[in-house]
Amino acid sequence: MSARLDGNIILLEGQCRVEDAEPLLGWLQADSSRVVDLTDAEHLHAAVFQILMALRPPIREGEKDAFVHDWLIPILRVARSSDTG
Amino acid sequence: MDDLLQHFTVEARELVQQATDDLLALEREPAIAAHLDGAFRAVHTLKGSVGLFDFAPMGLALHAAEDLLGALKGAEARIDSDVIDILLECIGQAERWVGAIEQTGQLPPDAGEEGYRLARALRSQLDEGAAQAAPMIPEADVGWIDDLLAAGTDRADLKAHNTGLVAIRYTPRADCFFAGDDPLALLRSVPDLVAVRMTNREPWPPAAEIDPFSCNLRIEALSCAEFDAVKTVFRFVPDQVTIHQVARRDTAGIHGAGSDGSPGRETSAVGAASSRMLRVDAARIDRLADLVGEMVVAKNALAHLAALSGEGMDRKDLVQGILASQAAIDRLVADMHRAVMDVRMMPMRDIFRRFPRAVRDTAGHLGKLIDFSMEGEDVEADKSVVEGLFEPLLHVLRNAVAHGAEPENIRLEAGKSTGTRIVLRARRDSDRIIVEVSDDGRGIDPASIRRAAQERGVAPGDRVERMSDAEAMELIFAPGFSTASEITDLSGRGVGMDAVRSAIERLGGQVGVQSLLGRGTTIRFSLPLTIVMTKVMAVRVGGETYGIPIDGVLETAFVAASRILPIQEGEAFVLRDRTLPLVRLADLLGISRIADPGRGAKVLIMSAGDERVGVAVDGFAERMDVLMRPMAGILAGMPGVMGTTLLGDGSVLMILDIPELIG
Repeated sequence: MSARLDGNIILLEGQCRVEDAEPLLGWLQADSSRVVDLTDAEHLHAAVFQILMALRPPIREGEKDAFVHDWLIPILRVARSSDTG
Repeated sequence: MDDLLQHFTVEARELVQQATDDLLALEREPAIAAHLDGAFRAVHTLKGSVGLFDFAPMGLALHAAEDLLGALKGAEARIDSDVIDILLECIGQAERWVGAIEQTGQLPPDAGEEGYRLARALRSQLDEGAAQAAPMIPEADVGWIDDLLAAGTDRADLKAHNTGLVAIRYTPRADCFFAGDDPLALLRSVPDLVAVRMTNREPWPPAAEIDPFSCNLRIEALSCAEFDAVKTVFRFVPDQVTIHQVARRDTAGIHGAGSDGSPGRETSAVGAASSRMLRVDAARIDRLADLVGEMVVAKNALAHLAALSGEGMDRKDLVQGILASQAAIDRLVADMHRAVMDVRMMPMRDIFRRFPRAVRDTAGHLGKLIDFSMEGEDVEADKSVVEGLFEPLLHVLRNAVAHGAEPENIRLEAGKSTGTRIVLRARRDSDRIIVEVSDDGRGIDPASIRRAAQERGVAPGDRVERMSDAEAMELIFAPGFSTASEITDLSGRGVGMDAVRSAIERLGGQVGVQSLLGRGTTIRFSLPLTIVMTKVMAVRVGGETYGIPIDGVLETAFVAASRILPIQEGEAFVLRDRTLPLVRLADLLGISRIADPGRGAKVLIMSAGDERVGVAVDGFAERMDVLMRPMAGILAGMPGVMGTTLLGDGSVLMILDIPELIG
């Protein structure tokens, strides 16, 4: 399982696939304050990623994968800052 | 090939044909919605069936064609000849792919590139049409590229590559997840990314209403890799992506849009598929099933008779019974033969429908205005006759366009309509079918035929002089009459009318020509409804090959030299305790025998009258079904030869009458 809930933290690990989108959405719909931990994420499927874009949860960043770190996380960061700002 | 794939190829061919028919009709009558609907449905269905297999490039091109047709339906794009051309090109390619699939089970290796090119060309029509139909939408919205450039310039590697950039705007379809696409995986595989921006295409719905499986992303990116390398990444989603080559610090230079020239359109490439399936009217199969049922009854009657004969039935009654049974079986076999022949009957439509497209292409190529029509598509003939007509008819039709049709001004001066009328007509004439190609073009001048025939040495001058005009006209079918100089790339592949004639004769038919100078030409084929095939066995004797009807051959055997006994003048051998005379075919034919190696003989055991006889040959070759033509003219009286047949390689096989040879 590449997406799991640990207390109030949603962990996305390894290769996150399209099937992870639905549980992720459910967890965030239930509690929008949950933190999404991308420390161990190696890839995010577009379906997963667009949920993060849409709901803008707090993100715990990681450097495990260059593509996620260089390109995806900055987009989420911008989305969140425009939200808060 | 598995059943599903086989079924697919049959259906695909029909859909391709349907789409072609509708597109051609649409070009003639753009206002009629039924043509557009028909073409759309055919392409849509074909795309659907392609989706069942791993033929992504084909699906891609068809998908783009479907979208274009959809846009035409929604009046978002205009129907013009460019649109029809690209759609026909796509359909033509699909047809060639179906041919490849039929033969190899897969698409050819270049299909990916070709599918991508077609899809792009189709999409570009769509964009063009959309721009024309709805000019309020800014077509070249390239502002996003500027934004990206601004965002990307802080990256060090952008400065390192000052060669140029590739800008990508990728808007995945909402249902792309269901197709197994992961847009981010594609983005990840774009080489040398320098900037990425992602936005939502539609505003995000409230959190509770988000559909996790509907893609709402728009991805924009810059890469400093080669254009083609980027294009390759998106090769399976060209309809969802626009890729631009951006010159350094410049948004101009849009690269790769539109089609590049028209590739060789060779409609005849689809002509001769090796083993096509046969679609049969269910009623004919029912008829066959009935006959088989009756056959079972007849067999049971025979079994009953056999049982009775074992019980000491009266001899006279037994003979009566056997004769009655034989008569019944005879009748049934004849009926079944007819029923099977019926199954093989197919309408001319199956090949005729391919011609409008071919005529259109040829006319377009040569810049001629042609008014083409067809009659008698429902006329039926044996499958082999109908299919065998395709190539010769194509050739004759192309000739009519290339040589028959005159320039428009000449037609007008002669009081004719501007477009040359070409009619392809089939009709039944007792047990033959007549297929004609008529044009109202320039006609054939018998004087120039005579001149050309003499120049080319087709026939001796004095004979040509004595010929009537009608006879002279027939010289166009003579071998060597068509010269390479008058064969355009369209009207043939280095074959002339003599090839047409031999193709028709191979089907057991005849060709004829009628022409009036200035009024037009009619080429007429007369063919049998069915081809009666004779099974022959080819044998080799003294370096030559002859055919022997297999009916008369009981078996073949190898007889060791030690078992061949000289008896007076002749020879004999023992086969299963019977002594049979042995004759050597070389002697019968008066050919010098290849020196006997003393290793025995290959022998055909044949029945000659009530006797059995062994016929020694040098070797057995293949068995084949041939169309036998009786000997005609001065050869008619030649003893021992039943007829001749043309082999696939054009050589003549003589079919021997062995009983007559033995005398």
